[in-house]
Amino acid sequence: MSNERESMSPTQLGLGILWPAFWTGLPIKLAFVLLFLSLGMVHFETRIGLAFLMLLTSPVTVFALPTIVLGLESHIGEGAGIALLFLLSIPIDIWALGVVGRTFFLERLRREPQDGLGLTLWWKCAVVGAVFLPILWVTVSATTQAAISGVHSMFEMDFLKFVPVAERISIELTLWGTVAVGVLLLLLVIGLSLVGRVIRGTVESAPHTTESYQGLITRWDLMRVPADQGLMLTALTGGAVVLSLLFWSSLPVFTPHPHDCCKKPDVKAAPAFKPLDTLNKDEKMLAQLAVQVEALEKQKAEAEAENDKGKGKAGKDAVKAPAATAPAPPAAKKP
Amino acid sequence: MSHTPSTSTQATVIEKVVDFVDERVGLKLLAAKMLNEPVPGGSRWAYVFGSVLLFIFIMQAVTGVLLMFYYVPTADHAYASTQYILHDIDYGWFLLSYHFWGSTAMVVCVFAHMSQVFLWGAYKKPRELIWLVGLALFGIVMGFGFTGYLLPWDQRAYWATTVGVEILDKTPLLGDFMARFLKGGATPGQMTLSRFFVIHVMVLPAALMGLAGLHLFLFRSAGPAGPFRDTPEELKAKTDYFFPRQIWKDIVGMAAVFACICALAFWEPVVLLEEATPDPGDYHPEPEWYFLFLFQLLRLKMFSGEFGQLLGAMVLPGAFMALLAALPFIDRDPERNIFKRPIALIGWVVVMAAILIFTISAIINREFLD
Repeated sequence: MSNERESMSPTQLGLGILWPAFWTGLPIKLAFVLLFLSLGMVHFETRIGLAFLMLLTSPVTVFALPTIVLGLESHIGEGAGIALLFLLSIPIDIWALGVVGRTFFLERLRREPQDGLGLTLWWKCAVVGAVFLPILWVTVSATTQAAISGVHSMFEMDFLKFVPVAERISIELTLWGTVAVGVLLLLLVIGLSLVGRVIRGTVESAPHTTESYQGLITRWDLMRVPADQGLMLTALTGGAVVLSLLFWSSLPVFTPHPHDCCKKPDVKAAPAFKPLDTLNKDEKMLAQLAVQVEALEKQKAEAEAENDKGKGKAGKDAVKAPAATAPAPPAAKKP
Repeated sequence: MSHTPSTSTQATVIEKVVDFVDERVGLKLLAAKMLNEPVPGGSRWAYVFGSVLLFIFIMQAVTGVLLMFYYVPTADHAYASTQYILHDIDYGWFLLSYHFWGSTAMVVCVFAHMSQVFLWGAYKKPRELIWLVGLALFGIVMGFGFTGYLLPWDQRAYWATTVGVEILDKTPLLGDFMARFLKGGATPGQMTLSRFFVIHVMVLPAALMGLAGLHLFLFRSAGPAGPFRDTPEELKAKTDYFFPRQIWKDIVGMAAVFACICALAFWEPVVLLEEATPDPGDYHPEPEWYFLFLFQLLRLKMFSGEFGQLLGAMVLPGAFMALLAALPFIDRDPERNIFKRPIALIGWVVVMAAILIFTISAIINREFLD
């Protein structure tokens, strides 16, 4: 058992630290991702899967992501949420690596963890990731592209043209997928080995512990139990309540992604109906209209009176001068 | 002189209520039995899938009930009521999208849970019955997905069901009866929708609750299998109670799954196609993503023709399920370490790779159809 610990390969060492650190930090990061999504601060584009994974699997991606984005003109999405998540990942990862590192040192390596282990492991992992991940990205992308075009051209040959479409798709996928996954796995193993080699110095500088296995288990177990459990529970519950309230208050009431068929027209809200105001307004309007009608009737009556006077005068004038050029009023016309 | 007890020794209202219930049903003993279950080798993240599945089911039930407040299960109104939920009800889009992605999460977690049990060798003696009941639960989860898919009554729903029922129709002896029973007529219509709705909201939840209870009872009776690699000394040193560490891990697992489902609901909310009609038009019918591998398999030349379709649609999946059911009785070797069971390891890798390849192939195949 002791030999097994001493002869632990760099790959095992790297995997033993990074894998549980990823799972330890992931739930906390996910909570923030969710909040940013509900606030509309994150807009993922086509590379969502990759970007999401890279953000969540830091610490190795913490410096690699900006390198890839800037150096390779890769597009991962928009919104301040991505940058904020990227910054938030740093303290979360340092904490996760600290918890995992101390457990790993005591349980698997039987060594005393040093102070500030989380920070030490974090910067070492981040530096390796910053150098290695862009190389991995370029290599895997180039290999996959080459494998796809190679397999395509192979199936363009005359003697393979008889292969039906469904079979061809599956065979092509299997062939280029095997090459791409093989290269990816190989490079991941190399990357883990690099991480293991880089943190081996930290491991070797840690003194051996002479405590019994049971004692070590109790120690690392107690390291994970907070000194004040009531406070921890209250803080966690409070945090969960605050996050839940923020989530529900920021959640869009209607879908933020309406389908083309169902886009809502921009309709302005109708003003609130106030019965008394409406009645008063209507009464005023009625009174105004009544006054107007009265005025019109009076005007009409006056006009008629004027007409009657005019008719009488015109009748006298017509007797006197029948060849007058002025047109006759309509009432004087007869069919 | 009378003695007044100090306030610290006085029972609170909650304590009194707990004592009242405990006196009648033995609550404290039950809680102690539930929480103090020893976990051999201590708590692990690999053990969270069972609890996560239970959580997803509860959330599906909650969102499902809320959706039922507005959904109308008739051929005339199913589509309109679903559109109404999506576009007019407050948070309706989120509820429906959560329910949709929750069903996907359930299938993924069932696969993960079954894989963990298989790789850990936890189906072996004395846990054969847990494995068998688990397989039945797997069938129920698939049934949930199949019946729920029709309910929005859009083209995707209608044709996925048509394809699914046609596959079912190929079952020897019972196929014709089952297809007619589900459709309730020559083509999917009101009867089909009513039957699928009742199965989805009444029959399957009842069956799932009953079988999940049995699954848990059997698990508690046999006890957890524990890790396959630790030495007896390490196992003994690390053995712990179910509470608090495993419960904490389960809660974190549930929170992570909840966050993932919500994120997917934001990223890809449910959007309906045109209302269901017996004319597919430009739409190429296909089933849900977790049946896509089988659908693509049936496109292969070797599975063409009446016999080929029967072979691909019924015989192969049926034989695979029968093999899974018989697994604990065939594999009697007590060795549980997956790295010392090469056939099991290779078999699992091959099955997973085949499902993945055929699922992606079906997605690529869409380009050729378009």
